[in-house]
Amino acid sequence: CIDSLEDYNIDPKRATVGTAPGATFVANAERNLVRTINSANVNLNPFRFYVQYWAATDYPQESRYDINTRDINGGYWNALYRDVLRDLREAKTNIAADKLLTEPVKANQIACAEVLEIYTWAVLVETFGDVPYTQALNINSALPVYDSQAAIYADLITRLDAVIGQLKPGAGLGDYDLINGGDMALWLKFANSLKLRMALTIADVDDAKARTMVASTVGKVLASNDDIVDLAFDATFPNTNPLYEDLVRSGRNDFVGTSLFVDQLRTKEDPRLDDYFNPADSPAAGAPDFVGGEYGASNPYDEYSPAGDKLRQQTLPGVVMSYAQVEFMLAEAVARGYIAGTVTEHYNAGITASILEWGGTQAEATAYLAQPSVAYATAPGADYREKIGNQKWIALYNQPTEAYKEWRRLDTPRLTKPATANSEIPLRLPYPVAEQNVNTANYNAASSAIGGDVVTTKLFWDKR
Amino acid sequence: QNRNITGRVTDTATGQGLPGVTVLVKGTSIGASTSADGSYSLSVPATATTLTYSFIGYTSVERPIGTASSIDVGMGTDAKQLSEVVVTALGVERTRNSLAYSATQVEGQSITVARNPNPINGLSGKVAGVNIRQSNTLGGSTNVTIRGTKSLFNSNQPLYVIDGVPISNSNTNTAGQQTGGGGYDYGNAASDLNPDDIATTTILKGAAATALYGERASNGVILITTKKGRKGLGVTINAGITGGRIDKSTFIKYQKEYGGGYYPTFTRTRDFDGDGVIDPLVRLTHDASFGPRFDPSLQVYQWTAFTPGNPNFGKATPWVAAENDPSKFFKTASTLNNSITIDGGNDNGYFKLGYNSVRDKGILPNSEVNKNIVNFAGSLNLTPRLTTSASVNFSQVKGQGRYATGYSGAYSENLMTNFRQWWQTNVDIKELEDAYNYQQLNATWNLSSPTAGATGQYWNNPYFSRNQSYETDSRYRTFGNVAATYKFADWFNVLGRVTLDSYDEFQEERYAVTSVGVPGYSRYNRVGREANFDLIGNFSANITEGVSFKGLAGANIRRESFGFVRSTTNGGLVVPGLYSLSNSLEPITPPAPGIDEVETKRGVDGIFASGTFGYRDMLFLDLTARRDKSTTLPNKNNAFIYPSVATGFVFSELLKDVSWLSYGKARVNYAEVGQGATPQSVFDVYDKPTAFGSIPLFSVAGTKNNEELKPERTKSGEAGVEMAFLQSRLGFDVTVYQQNTVDQIIPVNVSRASGYNSRYVNSGEVRNRGIELTAFASPFRSDNFTWTINANWTRNRNEVLSLYEGVPSIQIASYQGGVSSNATVGKPFGMLRGTNYTYLNGQRLVGTNGRYVESATANEEIGNPNPDWTGGVANTFNYKGISLYFLVDIRHGGDVFSLDRAYGLDTGLPDETAGLNELGNPSRDPISQGGGVLLSGVQADGSPNTVRADNSGIVDGEFTGATAYGTTFNPAAAFVYDASFVKLREVAITYSLPKILLSKINGVKGVDLSLVGRNLWIINKNLPDADPEDALSVGNAGQGYSTGAYPAVRTIGANIRLSF
Repeated sequence: CIDSLEDYNIDPKRATVGTAPGATFVANAERNLVRTINSANVNLNPFRFYVQYWAATDYPQESRYDINTRDINGGYWNALYRDVLRDLREAKTNIAADKLLTEPVKANQIACAEVLEIYTWAVLVETFGDVPYTQALNINSALPVYDSQAAIYADLITRLDAVIGQLKPGAGLGDYDLINGGDMALWLKFANSLKLRMALTIADVDDAKARTMVASTVGKVLASNDDIVDLAFDATFPNTNPLYEDLVRSGRNDFVGTSLFVDQLRTKEDPRLDDYFNPADSPAAGAPDFVGGEYGASNPYDEYSPAGDKLRQQTLPGVVMSYAQVEFMLAEAVARGYIAGTVTEHYNAGITASILEWGGTQAEATAYLAQPSVAYATAPGADYREKIGNQKWIALYNQPTEAYKEWRRLDTPRLTKPATANSEIPLRLPYPVAEQNVNTANYNAASSAIGGDVVTTKLFWDKR
Repeated sequence: QNRNITGRVTDTATGQGLPGVTVLVKGTSIGASTSADGSYSLSVPATATTLTYSFIGYTSVERPIGTASSIDVGMGTDAKQLSEVVVTALGVERTRNSLAYSATQVEGQSITVARNPNPINGLSGKVAGVNIRQSNTLGGSTNVTIRGTKSLFNSNQPLYVIDGVPISNSNTNTAGQQTGGGGYDYGNAASDLNPDDIATTTILKGAAATALYGERASNGVILITTKKGRKGLGVTINAGITGGRIDKSTFIKYQKEYGGGYYPTFTRTRDFDGDGVIDPLVRLTHDASFGPRFDPSLQVYQWTAFTPGNPNFGKATPWVAAENDPSKFFKTASTLNNSITIDGGNDNGYFKLGYNSVRDKGILPNSEVNKNIVNFAGSLNLTPRLTTSASVNFSQVKGQGRYATGYSGAYSENLMTNFRQWWQTNVDIKELEDAYNYQQLNATWNLSSPTAGATGQYWNNPYFSRNQSYETDSRYRTFGNVAATYKFADWFNVLGRVTLDSYDEFQEERYAVTSVGVPGYSRYNRVGREANFDLIGNFSANITEGVSFKGLAGANIRRESFGFVRSTTNGGLVVPGLYSLSNSLEPITPPAPGIDEVETKRGVDGIFASGTFGYRDMLFLDLTARRDKSTTLPNKNNAFIYPSVATGFVFSELLKDVSWLSYGKARVNYAEVGQGATPQSVFDVYDKPTAFGSIPLFSVAGTKNNEELKPERTKSGEAGVEMAFLQSRLGFDVTVYQQNTVDQIIPVNVSRASGYNSRYVNSGEVRNRGIELTAFASPFRSDNFTWTINANWTRNRNEVLSLYEGVPSIQIASYQGGVSSNATVGKPFGMLRGTNYTYLNGQRLVGTNGRYVESATANEEIGNPNPDWTGGVANTFNYKGISLYFLVDIRHGGDVFSLDRAYGLDTGLPDETAGLNELGNPSRDPISQGGGVLLSGVQADGSPNTVRADNSGIVDGEFTGATAYGTTFNPAAAFVYDASFVKLREVAITYSLPKILLSKINGVKGVDLSLVGRNLWIINKNLPDADPEDALSVGNAGQGYSTGAYPAVRTIGANIRLSF
């Protein structure tokens, strides 16, 4: 009688593989990508600590670079591989097999998934170094080898060039596209901006290639704050902005600004100060309302400035790529001599875009730029790296993953580790413990290939 | 002229009355038989001089009559005869003599002697090879493993069979709860049974004993046979009450020198009294006691100053340690356990009707679990050939305010985590009680700020939490069977039987409005059904003179289904105190399929046969085979056959003239058992995350299923010797065994870079080998006084022999605190990993800051949770009608990681975080003032450490927020402790009223009064401030991990047993 009972093994509550529309996987991947790179959760994303935007209140371990206790590296790795990349692969398969889609729509949908995949791979490589790539995302290679980070990056650039040619006007993912609303023109700008970003990432190791890449993106990148590539979060949990979850919903008060960051914002009368931070509840006698805590130490919450109200909104968009970021990249490209133009113009445009993005006015931006400590010509710093790097650091406040990469690449601002630090300031995340346990042989090979699985190992593009 | 002699015959081992003993006047046929409680009355002629007492399985006793009118007799078992009947697989009754495998039978009264309301916990320490780990929560889980952990990911819990009905021992605790993440411990379902209804419990350990049960038998079987009616009409009433207090050695002892805060300073930013001077304010948000030193002359604003209704509202109060620490939070637990059984029977049948009521109140406020069980069983011989029987057991378990476990969950706040890890020693628990009672509001000590209307930062008022955010649950259950046996011939009968186990569970969890975090409500409905249809033919024949044969052949059809739905509110509650899904603040999200909405079915068809050949009651050979077809496997691999062969040799039959040898038997056996997969692990499905607004989302499931699965197999070999000496006053039973579980169906961890967490494969081999030793002795035996010792000892060695190709180690679970449980090739199951000390020449390396240097990775092996050995020793003394019994339960070895210690030491709670250092200075003084802690170890050059580590919380002007002892500055290995214990588990003093007295009360056959105690004394343990036995839940995860541990409860009570 059991021969006729095959349905006993069919889960009556879940969709069987192959049956769900591919675009739903892209939507899920977009959601998970944006949440992961923007989260402030101490189990997932420590980068607001590492670039010293924030200090901890009562539980400073993660700000002292304790990665192991909460398996932060594992959380980050798993989210990108399992919850983003794997779903993008499934999306491509299901879109290609979907009989209800026309060929042009299929091609556009798959191309969008490909751009997201490249972006995610880039983040993984920039965070860990060598990672499984050629054998990844294949259950039949359950223990994939690690590929060289430089080789992966080169391949990603090749793939990006290819996909830029495949993004065509017309219909794409439609409403399933949570970040670009199905706007194929915007996808093309995003892909070019990503190319610009990846070019500058390797600029210190492959100047010629970076130059060529940057040149090919001229006029094709994000052009205004209307073009910001972001995901508008929903007002209803669990699709609210992850910051809302960690700052408001949790009822916890875990973070305050650092003195390094808040003091700079305050002394330069930065119009973003009261957006980035709230005044301290009860500052120490004589202290200003906006005051930062000591990085790496424990800080009394009510004496220091916590994250601002704007960051506490359910629907605060999570940014994948900002226009301000693009302008700072263009400024750098000019400074490097890759493209024509003036550094100052793009530098000013980047700062202005950032101030407007946070609700400031053009007048506020102009006043801010007029300060000698802000104006490009007179801003402190030996070279463009420091001048641009410092303003970019300020502007990337709500893009912690990008900020962490740019801090390592531009080495600005100068950060010092706290006295109680567990290690030097991490220049990468170590591989997850699970990889050490499960994928041991390949882990060991990768570890020695990159020069040791430690936080002080510099990644291939981090030459200075 | 005849005279009347009365008396009572008891079993010297248990002190219980022996029914059915033949009492004869020696040399005559004048005699009587003892009644249900062992008493007898006999009219003897004047010429009579001696009475003989005989009973099958016991050594016959002779007594001179003299002038006595009352003669009580104790009888000991006669191992030489060993015709004791043991219930074995499928309910087949066999003489102990003929068993060729290890089967331990525990009598019902031995389980209930200390009036444990949970029949499984009542087995603890009594059976070799059985490892029972109890939880200290009210009505909580009991983890039972027999002969070690065999399956890496499947259940290792034994199968429970009650009167032929396999019953679910399911546990609804969430995965998060089982790994210490928080949630409630709802206990397991095998406790839905009246302990007083148990006649015997047989523990079948090896596969040779269990193979007939099919695929579920690989973890051993606990076979419970309930009492049957006896001839005549009998009524037994048990009424008992117990009370319990916490064992203070299992609760934290606070330091009393320093108060709340993560830094040794007060907040000084506000002027509360308006005198123009900034006032000191305790750091209200800080859930730690690493704050300023107590000083009664210092007036400080504390939480009471901001709590309306408090006598100190608006006032500063002296900075002193609380008079009442959280140990005063615990109440006296109580249990009322009452039962009544009515039974009766005649030559044509019997019946039994029972009722059991347990009213259990726990040590936490607002906690109770009540149980009502009604059962009926009856049998009738319709014709001389046809016997029919039926039994049914209804139970209702209702809980309210069960204990939250682990770290706190979304709808559960574990106050032990609060008290042991995150507490301010200046907070008085009685003041919190008053604060709550004032207006039933969440008046907490852990305010987010001193401003009016401030709410809790991390912790609620514990009384508010217990009284407002409680859970409720109920489980209604029915199990029973209907059977008919037709005797075709003396040598052949056929049994047909239908059994059903059916339960419905309902759990509601609440988190009250104004609580820290998001208030809410969660409901969980679960339904489970299992039906079995058995048809079994039994043969019995003597083939030739001296060669006997018993056999059976049969078929079993099993159908199981279970499903559940969990639904929760989203974002909060609109109306406070209204707990319904529709009261959700934000739109509720649909239950996630496969996680919150689950429907599974399983079917197994089995055919089996077994035969036992006996030669002159001396040599026995058992053969069995079973073939199962399981729906959980792909069609092409779904049938599997497994055999067993066992032989027993009663060598004492050849040594009858050796007078000191009472009995001797050797046995050896081998068996295999197959096991199917977890349902729905064959075909791949998608996860369905909550839709994003109107956009549906899908995601690839984290576990890759497998269409090529084949059955898992356990191969088990066993050899043993049983011997008894000196008229069976001394004896032992030793068994060695090895079990290899191969082709394990495991969701093997894969590199997450594959896009999956895990993949179902057949892979891996785990070996368990061990020794079980049971021994008994009667050092003293006389008419009035006997002393009996029963002891058992078990040593199991577990080793993971192989895993998935090339994978050296896989993670079973990971826990807060950076610790994980792992299966590693070449190591025992469940090895704990985390950060370790760094060692230099075998000494712990201390850095230049005086602190231990931690290992670079969190992947070091830091503990093995498996005990080296376990054992139990029970002593029984009988003197006339008084019986004294006590049981010592021992676990030696095995490690446990304590998150309570890791955090508690960090936040400065336990007494050793304060006090004086080796210089005689307060260790919390700055190092510059002679403070600090000198950790034992060596410096980088190998010389002994001379640098004191800071314990003041300020280094280079920075607040470090942690003591020198806690997790911040120490590796996880610092919080791994030896989990050994020696416990005085059970004590009972029973007094049976003498017959002389009873004869004056009409109709009363027996009155037993007993005083009982459980867990009275932890004689030895090495885990500070907690009970090393306390388990989070049932299952493979969570072993060797302790967080938010509940204190052990010492229980004392009294019981009266009346029989009519």
